[in-house]
Amino acid sequence: MARTEKRWLLLMVGLLTLFMAIVVASTMTSALHPPSNVETIDPVTLHLGGEFAESNLGTAQEPDGSLTARIVADQYAFVPYCVKLAVDTPVKFRLTSVDVVHGFLLPATNVNTMVVPGYVAEVRTRFTRPGVYSMPCNEFCGNGHHGMWARVIVVPKPEFPALAPTERSSCVQQ
Amino acid sequence: MSEVLERHHSAAASPAHVAAPISSEAAAEALRHGPRGAFFLASVAVLILLAGWLAFYFLLFLPRGSIG
Repeated sequence: MARTEKRWLLLMVGLLTLFMAIVVASTMTSALHPPSNVETIDPVTLHLGGEFAESNLGTAQEPDGSLTARIVADQYAFVPYCVKLAVDTPVKFRLTSVDVVHGFLLPATNVNTMVVPGYVAEVRTRFTRPGVYSMPCNEFCGNGHHGMWARVIVVPKPEFPALAPTERSSCVQQ
Repeated sequence: MSEVLERHHSAAASPAHVAAPISSEAAAEALRHGPRGAFFLASVAVLILLAGWLAFYFLLFLPRGSIG
């Protein structure tokens, strides 16, 4: 192998090492990794009780101050249609599907996961900007797929405790 | 048929359109320091790739928030 080829090869190996080092370093320091929750649930009975019963859907505040949003996806809607969350607060989305595969995506964030019937998808994140985030289904799920979308409203932190539990899972003005 | 061929001229048919022949000494002199032009071109391409990757990662991907 010619000397110049060896040098170029070394340069390329160095660049790949740099890319990998940046990815690994940011993953370790920012807890940045693809959602990989593996948890099963019976899609036939999930509405009858337990975590995804209707009364348990929407945003709940945990004892440690973090928020958990539980959402059920079905053809062709997310239930609830709207969830409210607080900015600069650890947030955990837990989703499941009752029928077919759906997609959960929040534009302008890295939140993106598939929602598969029989499994609970879990995504953890933290919103840095308040605002309205649209939430379209990004996995083709049938004829009404294009109309399947919901909203996440991120409010300033001081405003969140004042919201009544019904307001946290509704975009209707009280 | 022969008339058509006579009227058709390749660009290479004219000496003015073809690069001047280079002697083996001149070619050796041009490559004495290696293929520097090729390295320059490849380096520019790699630098653009590197800058693009870094810009996407640090200016677009990371500001969109951590996930887990």
